[in-house]
Amino acid sequence: MVNFTIDQIRELMDKVTNVRNMSVIAHVDHGKSTLPDSLVSKAGIISSAKAGEARFTDTRQDEQDRCITIKSTAISMFFEMPKEDLGDIKQKTEGNGFLINLIDSPGHVDFSSEVTAALRVTDGALVVVDCVEGVCVQTETVLRQALTERIKPVIIINKVDRALLELQYEKEVLYQSFQRTIETVNVIISTYLDPSLGDLQVYPEKGTVAFGSGLHGWGFTLRQFAKRYAAKFGVDQEKMMNRLWGDNYFNPKTRKWAKQGVDADGQPLERAFCMFVLDPIFKLFDAIMNVKKEQTNNMLEKLEINLKAEERDLEGKALLKVVMRKFLPAADALLEMLVIHLPSPVTAQKYRAETLYEGPGDDECAVGIKNCDPKAPLMLYVSKMVPTSDKGRFYAFGRVFSGTVRSGLKVRIQGPNYVPGKKEDLFVKSIQRTILMMGRYVEPIEDCPAGNIVGLVGVDQFLLKSGTITTSEVAHNMKVMKFSVSPVVQVAVEVKNANDLPKLVEGLKRLSKSDPCVLCFTNESGEHIVAGAGELHLEICLKDLEEDHAQVPLKKTDPVVGYRETLQAESSITCLSKSPNKHNRIFMKAAPLSEELSKEIEDGKVNPRDDFKIRGRYLAEEHGWDPTDARKIWCFGPDTTGPNVLVDSTKAVQYLNEIKDSCIGAFQWATREGVCCEEPMRGCRFNILDVALHADAIHRGAGQIMPTCRRVIYASALTAEPALQEPIYLVEIQCPESVMGGIYSVLNRRRGHVFSEEQRPGTPLYNVKAYLPVKESFGFTADLRSQTGGQAFPQSVFDHWKLMTGDIKDEKCMLFQTITDVRKRKGLEAAIPPLDRYYDKL
Amino acid sequence: MMHCRANGHDIVALANLYPPKQSGKDELDSFVYQTVGHDAIQWYAECMDLPLIRREIHGTPKRQALDYETTIDDETEDLYALLKEVKQRYPAVEAVSVGAILSNYQRIRVEHVCQRLGLTSLAYLWQQDQAELLNSMIDNGLQAILIKVAAMGLNERHLGKSLGEMQPALMQLHDRFGLHVCGEGGEYETFTLDCPLFVKRLVV
Repeated sequence: MVNFTIDQIRELMDKVTNVRNMSVIAHVDHGKSTLPDSLVSKAGIISSAKAGEARFTDTRQDEQDRCITIKSTAISMFFEMPKEDLGDIKQKTEGNGFLINLIDSPGHVDFSSEVTAALRVTDGALVVVDCVEGVCVQTETVLRQALTERIKPVIIINKVDRALLELQYEKEVLYQSFQRTIETVNVIISTYLDPSLGDLQVYPEKGTVAFGSGLHGWGFTLRQFAKRYAAKFGVDQEKMMNRLWGDNYFNPKTRKWAKQGVDADGQPLERAFCMFVLDPIFKLFDAIMNVKKEQTNNMLEKLEINLKAEERDLEGKALLKVVMRKFLPAADALLEMLVIHLPSPVTAQKYRAETLYEGPGDDECAVGIKNCDPKAPLMLYVSKMVPTSDKGRFYAFGRVFSGTVRSGLKVRIQGPNYVPGKKEDLFVKSIQRTILMMGRYVEPIEDCPAGNIVGLVGVDQFLLKSGTITTSEVAHNMKVMKFSVSPVVQVAVEVKNANDLPKLVEGLKRLSKSDPCVLCFTNESGEHIVAGAGELHLEICLKDLEEDHAQVPLKKTDPVVGYRETLQAESSITCLSKSPNKHNRIFMKAAPLSEELSKEIEDGKVNPRDDFKIRGRYLAEEHGWDPTDARKIWCFGPDTTGPNVLVDSTKAVQYLNEIKDSCIGAFQWATREGVCCEEPMRGCRFNILDVALHADAIHRGAGQIMPTCRRVIYASALTAEPALQEPIYLVEIQCPESVMGGIYSVLNRRRGHVFSEEQRPGTPLYNVKAYLPVKESFGFTADLRSQTGGQAFPQSVFDHWKLMTGDIKDEKCMLFQTITDVRKRKGLEAAIPPLDRYYDKL
Repeated sequence: MMHCRANGHDIVALANLYPPKQSGKDELDSFVYQTVGHDAIQWYAECMDLPLIRREIHGTPKRQALDYETTIDDETEDLYALLKEVKQRYPAVEAVSVGAILSNYQRIRVEHVCQRLGLTSLAYLWQQDQAELLNSMIDNGLQAILIKVAAMGLNERHLGKSLGEMQPALMQLHDRFGLHVCGEGGEYETFTLDCPLFVKRLVV
């Protein structure tokens, strides 16, 4: 049924101005995957009859079973725009054929990393919002992600049929509900607005908002209606669109437009939107659902909808579906909206280049990206790996930002740790094949020019999860993606049968490749740990591991939570440690960093690459640091970017610079494995107060300084009231009022607390927001369902770290308990190491 | 000392400084001297069939700067006293063999003392490549065991191991943390059990 050929697509790829790369993003269950189906049916890959049921982009069996999307999937579509409408497109185009690359992304928060990977390769986003539930937590998260990647959003308000059929809204109420949803979206957009992008807010009257029903396959923007009425009223189409939204009223008696909702006689007028847009829809619904045959036929005639003979016999919903699909085909409305309002790669890469590329803004690669030039050096970003039918092999999925990639091309494959000019994390290899990825199928293509999304065969061995592929020797990396979720939930896995261990190790490698967010590592006690964003994410990962990647029976421990070690006060004494040869001494004090600063470091607002003077001034002004100290931050850690700092507060010490590298090494090590229970540290500041060094360089090598510095960091942490921070989820629950009691009791039992409770206007649904420790969240969903008779659905997303106050020596407090548990699990000795292990007397 | 003999010198006597008896300590945090294993030094004399002159360490590392000037009560002065005694008892002594490879601190102090006594300091190992030196020591049949460790990556497990056994581990630590494979930065101290200069072999 494919009604376009690969050659046709390939031809379109060259006309980059006619390409649109977009992703579909939304909250879970708002209908992301159903919606693209109607688009795909238009492009002709699946037959129209199945649209709305097939979920073309849910390619995996478990996705079909669970009715959720787990992996993002790309499909390419071809759309021919009517010639007379080309004038509406405000950017450069060429011909009227358009290639639309659509990526469907998962809505469940646990898989937001997939969304990030999808957003990176697209320029526009179709935000789907459920007309009944409105803007939910994940809508906001993904929208924020899109805006930080400089991606232009358009929205569709989905499931309008529900509002009509189930909730029986009045026209005006429905308008108000649309208006509210759009306002909420615009509030989010303006909060995260990047000035270089211009106004990104969405306006129905400009055609950036669509309304529709993915399941029924119909949808519209005001443009469709404006077109119908423009001729009738003899006004400009654009003017008509403006009139169809907001406070515009039409007085049928005087045939005049008004701004007030009452006419001269004080009679209420109907809003133009309700009168011209909603009215025909409401009438159709009413006629068909209440089986008013005659009226139906009348209307069909008026609207010029021709039904086939067998369709005429349908009744109720089935008929409604057929009629609405003919009246307002969703595909036309959406494809038009996408083509007109989303930027082409040429337009988008102009402003995205600086946020995409790490190197200088004027080298050949940056210029190539800016111009989206197919003749410039190749710059391709691989955003994720997609498993092939061939076990253990992956397609590298990415976007060509500059140049042209073709089979057999010799390229430089740069991993995330590649530094220009060095050889680490760099491979020079040939690309075996380039392919086009279309849902369940792949099609080989000869080459792929800049601005397009492509799959590569033969580079999977050289990249872990993502990376840059280029032909330029001077190319820097494309910026690494920043995920909004972090792998906070861990389980240890082991094989049931010891002989299978190599298979497990190989399987873990594959798992870590196939998912952008999952973390697989071996801890000190030799356990294999898999860390994921949430319970569901882990469950899917482990299932994949057991069934696909390793294919051996596995034993899993209960999920455990990662903690952060932090400090509550300044060190009570100045700590000292001597080097193993006793000839070098380091004096240090530790202090906590403020939560705001920790967060800013984590978000990259304060980062190691800042100019130290600018950073110094910023810290002094915003966080009250001593200006001299603020300039002398040696490093951040762990991983050189973490929320801990090592500060040089010494005065005139000889040879200090020689030991700097050793100290940084020790600091990275110590902050990665804190003193309490070897969890990473967070929000700690270590001040080197003084250093006494052996006069001879040979006696103060790394072997002497590193252990000393690490010990003194531990000693100063122990004297600074160490504590743990535990991860907290923000839980959003939508439920009817009757089950609120159940929600509260479940949350209370699990140390959660509700901080907001709102009724969604116009619905009997309540929106409850609560904080819940991740540790208590295992089984939360199931528990909540059983307590509320399945009427409450929680969405949990990692929100912040919360300090667990207490004294680590107090055996009764929870802090002590937690530390002991973690130590036991890691196979460390039960007691926290005593101070004298790290503290030396002068 | 093996280099000395190869270069035509005669070894006349052995000299050693050891921690004061009344302190009861086997280990001083000396900046120059190895003190661990001092109680077995007398066996060296027997093994090599040479006289041994010993003296207690009274001084402490008073002057810790890289250069050295005569400082009362500095541990270097103990070396001066020791060598002076050697010179009195064996007037034929012309030179002192020093094992410093890279430690300027050590070399400067020994040279300072030698100069005051009119002796020559022989430092055949000076600035040799440590990895090669370790290799040549092992190849030439020098058998030494680790008796003290003080560096990251080295621990009790390594005590009592011979240099030959330790070589791969030391090289690995060198690559990871920049450890000096010959223990020049005080990473470890050894005690020699056998070498070509010995007429008898020590057994522990």
